[in-house]
Amino acid sequence: MKTLLADGPAADHASDIEQFGRLSGLWRTEIAAFPADGSPTRTAEGEWEFGYALEGRAVIDVWQVPARDAIHDGRRAANQEVGLCVRVWDPRLALWRFTFHGTADGALVHMMARQVGDEMVLEGADGGRLVRWVFSELGGHSFAWRAEASTDGGETWRLEQTVDARRRES
Amino acid sequence: MGTAPIRIITAPSSLGLRPGVDGLEPGTWAAPSALLAAGLASSVGGASRVDLPRLPYSYDSQPATRIRNGLGIRELGLLIAEAVADAVRDEQFPLVVGGDCSILLGCLAGARRAGPCALLHVDGHTDFFHPGNYDSARSLGSAAGMDLALATGRGELLLTHWPVAGSPLVPDEDVFQIGDREAEVDGHGQLPPTIAGLTVQEVLRIGIDAAVEKVSQRIAERGAERSWLHLDLDVLDASVMPAVDSPGAPGLDFQQASSLLAGLLNGAPVIGMDVAIYDPSLDPDGSYAAAIVRSLATALASHAELIA
Repeated sequence: MKTLLADGPAADHASDIEQFGRLSGLWRTEIAAFPADGSPTRTAEGEWEFGYALEGRAVIDVWQVPARDAIHDGRRAANQEVGLCVRVWDPRLALWRFTFHGTADGALVHMMARQVGDEMVLEGADGGRLVRWVFSELGGHSFAWRAEASTDGGETWRLEQTVDARRRES
Repeated sequence: MGTAPIRIITAPSSLGLRPGVDGLEPGTWAAPSALLAAGLASSVGGASRVDLPRLPYSYDSQPATRIRNGLGIRELGLLIAEAVADAVRDEQFPLVVGGDCSILLGCLAGARRAGPCALLHVDGHTDFFHPGNYDSARSLGSAAGMDLALATGRGELLLTHWPVAGSPLVPDEDVFQIGDREAEVDGHGQLPPTIAGLTVQEVLRIGIDAAVEKVSQRIAERGAERSWLHLDLDVLDASVMPAVDSPGAPGLDFQQASSLLAGLLNGAPVIGMDVAIYDPSLDPDGSYAAAIVRSLATALASHAELIA
């Protein structure tokens, strides 16, 4: 499968594609989830790998919880996630089209994304909710990510999950 | 407007409307060609014209959005923005001919590329639906009923965040809504106190001149150096203009509408204008198209004489 990955962004939209392309590489993640019912925060560790794809027109990533080296017998349990995110820059919309494909429970998420200030904001309408996944504090060695949802059209947001990511030297 | 020659930009779209009672795409997409056939270009002195494409109307929901045709509205909005920005850069007055009210977003996105721009929103409705005040899970939203909410940054990122302009396209305080007929009757579409407005009932009570004075005063107080004029033709009374998506009463007659537009064009620093929601399929003999053209020509000519 040598045609999937690419070495860098497509030249005709390089600066746009770099918005996510700068995340290329392997990251160690610390994840915290905040249940809506007020039950205790759940934490986990995982791994997140980003790369250019489709001749540099897309940025994909693989999301794993737990990380591969934390799986003792090398076999991921059925309910442990390894998912694929695909982001394609759409110049006609000046937006990223985004999908997440989960393998643990069949999750399929559609979102649109664009840079808002210093953050990369992905957003999708899910029934009566707006859901946002936001990449922030983007640096060469770390970044933060949060998932939040609004039921009042974006007036207020409830924090659902955070990720603290640190670049992992491979 | 200055002495800028008019550049007509046609935006043949029904993307912001729900299907009609016949289940088919509404007919506002045909308005530009009908108004041009009724003599719009020569009547308003259009010096040049840009024709934008008609994008496909989708009857089904689209990924990641609960707004009907959200992706198409975004795409057309960017094309409108480019055409409006080009006209402004060329020192022309863009007259964007829709189409439904969702074209307003592209107009503002283009106008904003050269700096802040206030909004004079002349419409028989506030067009202020957003996911915070209606059940977006129950049905797809129609952007033609959301344009003011989206322009002020309420709703999905897809239609609230635009290149260069960012979000919001216009802050609440720089908006003046003129002509809503529902808030006084049933509170429908109520605006937040941060957005100034005059209902159509108020306009009819105080008269066109006083209404224009109030708007001009507000715009001057805000220090706005540029403004965009949005005209939804449903601000006209249904007895004189039934060929729109949501006709209603009370409303303005054509003479009042012309006076209002002329007053706003002269009383505020308007750099461009859009005209929306005329539906030629509801006007088989074209008589309403002719009336719209006369009204626009009167307003724009009156303005041109005053500045000459």
